Amino acid sequence: MAGAILENLSGRKLLVLVSILIISQISCFLIGGLIAPNPSSADIALASKCYDSGNNTDKWFYPRGKGQCHLLTQDDMKKLHMANQIVFAFQLPLPRDNMILDYSRWQQNLIGVLQFDIEYHEEALMAEKTLVTIDAKMAYRDKGDKDDDWKYYASSRETRTLECTMKEKKAGYYYSCSIVPLFELGSLHHDYYLLDLRLPVDDRSKMNNGLGQIVDIWLVAINQNGGFTKVWLSLKTTFFPIIVAIMIWFWNRVHQLNRPPALLEQMLLYLGCSLTFLNMPLEYLTLMFDMPYMPLIGDIRQGIFYASLLSFWLVFAGEHLMIQENENHSTLRAYWKHLSAVVIGCISLFVFDVCERGVQLKNPFYSIWVTSFGSNLALGFIILAGVSAGIYFLFLTYMIWQVFCNISTKRSSLPSMSGARRLHYEGVIYRFKFLMLATLVCAGMTVVGFILGQVSEGRWKWDEDIELEYTSAFFSGVYGMWNIYIFALIVLYSPSHKQWPQDAANIFAIADQQSMNEEIEFSRLPTEPSEISSLTSFARKTAVD
Amino acid sequence: MARLKMQGCWSLVALLVVALILIQGVEGAKEKRKRPKKNTFIVNSAPINFSAPVSEAPALFTSTTYASVSAATPSATPPTTAFVPQSMLPQPTNWMNLVEPEAEVVGPLNGGGDTPLCANVVGLSAGQRKLCQLYLDHMPWVGRGARAGIAECQWQFRDHRWNCSTFQDASVMGPIHNIASREAAFTHAVGAAGVVHSVARACRDGSLSSCGCSRARRPRDLRRDWIWGGCGDNLEYGYKFTQGFVDVREREKTHKRGSREQGRQLMNLHNNEAGRRAVIKKTKVTCKCHGVSGSCSLITCWHQIAPFREIGDYLKDKYDGATEVRVNKRGRLQIKDPRFNMPTANDLLYLSESPNYCVKNLALGSMGTYGRPCNRTSHGLDGCNLLCCGRGYNTQKTTIRERCDCKFHWCCSVECRTCSRTLDIHTCK
Repeated sequence: MAGAILENLSGRKLLVLVSILIISQISCFLIGGLIAPNPSSADIALASKCYDSGNNTDKWFYPRGKGQCHLLTQDDMKKLHMANQIVFAFQLPLPRDNMILDYSRWQQNLIGVLQFDIEYHEEALMAEKTLVTIDAKMAYRDKGDKDDDWKYYASSRETRTLECTMKEKKAGYYYSCSIVPLFELGSLHHDYYLLDLRLPVDDRSKMNNGLGQIVDIWLVAINQNGGFTKVWLSLKTTFFPIIVAIMIWFWNRVHQLNRPPALLEQMLLYLGCSLTFLNMPLEYLTLMFDMPYMPLIGDIRQGIFYASLLSFWLVFAGEHLMIQENENHSTLRAYWKHLSAVVIGCISLFVFDVCERGVQLKNPFYSIWVTSFGSNLALGFIILAGVSAGIYFLFLTYMIWQVFCNISTKRSSLPSMSGARRLHYEGVIYRFKFLMLATLVCAGMTVVGFILGQVSEGRWKWDEDIELEYTSAFFSGVYGMWNIYIFALIVLYSPSHKQWPQDAANIFAIADQQSMNEEIEFSRLPTEPSEISSLTSFARKTAVD
Repeated sequence: MARLKMQGCWSLVALLVVALILIQGVEGAKEKRKRPKKNTFIVNSAPINFSAPVSEAPALFTSTTYASVSAATPSATPPTTAFVPQSMLPQPTNWMNLVEPEAEVVGPLNGGGDTPLCANVVGLSAGQRKLCQLYLDHMPWVGRGARAGIAECQWQFRDHRWNCSTFQDASVMGPIHNIASREAAFTHAVGAAGVVHSVARACRDGSLSSCGCSRARRPRDLRRDWIWGGCGDNLEYGYKFTQGFVDVREREKTHKRGSREQGRQLMNLHNNEAGRRAVIKKTKVTCKCHGVSGSCSLITCWHQIAPFREIGDYLKDKYDGATEVRVNKRGRLQIKDPRFNMPTANDLLYLSESPNYCVKNLALGSMGTYGRPCNRTSHGLDGCNLLCCGRGYNTQKTTIRERCDCKFHWCCSVECRTCSRTLDIHTCK
């Protein structure tokens, strides 16, 4: 690949372009921080204890609305004789401000986490690890349906481990128990949800025999905030056409050349395509259709994007090694050894994701982490992914180190080279350094932003009146940054018309001629990037002459 | 801060706040408006009713400035009197009387109107009666909270000379409330804490439909607000409601600045606030990671309300470390003994020493310790020596049959053996 726009851009134009990109980056960050709310919020519901006179497992028990169940008080509970008679019912969402709220499809997903309030009693001691068996049933209802018109959504019998500890054992205090993730809904298509839980007891299989005195069960329902979805989607809808347009422009430009596209140009196109796939605002469809597989698609989109970005970096470093000359066309196949780490890492993460999210399509109560086999398997895949990420970064640093070694050897021999050759190498070095700088800045900002977010517990305050939602700002900022990064790459690394005259051989000949005479002057020329453009313009001038 | 809008009836509370501003000056009011903001009211911001040059942070007052204030008027403190005639005292009733008619209030929920229910409860003040009508559906929960508060008080003081005994009248706690003692401070705090606890809980099980979304980022219409940014924690709603309901009775009366009544008013307000804050102070934050593939790139946290026993223990600690204060001429409270640290908004305050609880004095509300069981071997407050005030004790040998080796089975049964044992029961003379 010879003669990218980057080298031919004058310093001023480059400055203007870079500052426009930085301004749009800052605005992405501010849109997330000032307009968007927190990405998600939690609604905490206390279980209503409904009384089931028989064993009516088909009936729906709900605490509010017409036909509500008979509610039990703490004292009533002591008089019961079967554990199955208590149904812990959660009717979501909770009413507020004298209104019956309903879920909006903008809220995208729902994660349910259980918290047990278990009172300490000398009579009812609990082991540190207790298996809880939960019979869970879920129903939904839409606006306009009757109060009792609950429709079946999912049901399952799940076993979870409850870890309960207690520092000072005093009567009346609660065990501090771990939270129990119960379900994940990939789409929030309906308006109201109902969750009925039972904790059945069976002495033969020792089911729920180790439970202590459960006073209350809380359900923490976490959903994405509609405001965040709106801001996020509008970011996507803005970036989507821009990236598509710039890709078309880029590919046109490549095809105007009378040579097949180089590997790096192909890689840039792949990268653009994967980003377009990520940008595609598919979420609009969830407003119309029930798409529980949306989280899986989201993960896959993200995975493909990361895979192509990582491969691009590898290929980019490889293509700038400056060992082989541009005559023989390299293909992606030459990089199979390097790319296998990326492929293995991505595939193992994909398998893990399908195991978790894929099964959740069938059963929203499923979690791979519950059984020891499942969690070992999941851990295995994650470790495999981590190892391949480590190998990848070793590879990448090794290659970058090699490039830098080559650059220093080339630079020492630059003055003795012919003009065109020198221009070629100067260009290669400049392109490489520019990308290195941009990538390091982007990756560094992502990492620093992430760490800041973890340290500051997601909340930042600069002024009493300006509240910045840091988590949202981080998400939109990082999302905008990688879009802008790839936009800049496609623009700056597309082939330049200026440096590609009709007769390529001609320029070499002339440049060679010139170099004989002007060797001293060339050697005085600095190798700083910003000066390259003047250098190339000088070369062009001689060509015209 | 200003964005946290009070809606509906809160304007009524706001009016009272305005009245309070007139009494206490602008700095105090500023502090007050800041307080309901999430997280900030957990921090020990300066209590509003202290005489201090700056009311920003307690760390700003040094004991020297305090010493100079109180040294200037050392003789102004009235001697603590053992007996105050009941007729002089302004508060013969107590809102906690809602405990009793609770069963009735649950029934008809015809929403506002001049329901006789609220009028029938004797303990309520005029402002509370109004709030009772406005928030009729809250009243069972207020009653439940008050009951929990009293039960907790009785549990905490089960081996003290004063055992938080209640009376069957509108005053609930008896004449003991007329004395601005530590005990009155505790009952005010634990009552307020009970209501915050109970209302916040009721919000979370959907029994109260008027619990608000506490986030005020986009306040134009609620539906959008809820979809846009979700609803916040209900603890804040419980806090605000209690602030309105419990404090209203103190705020609707104006007393002469620097009078003993005004001091009592400030003390009650402070202790109510301390009780409310105790609930918030004892909440735990739990978080869940739910980013890509369950990573912590996305994390959501929420507050978990502590069991009421834990709050009671915390308030009991505050009772043990309560600070004695007096009201000065400017109508502010100040520490009686300048050697002690400045109390924060979480600490309890009292104006006068406790009466002697050893002997029965119905005019004071002391039941005496006669007939109370005590522990012969203990050197603590429940020990016979202290509890019986040196009068000695009777011993009785009894055999009791009790449950032992119990094993609990979820949900509803406890398997026990019955054991019998002989023990000595000591009761105070």
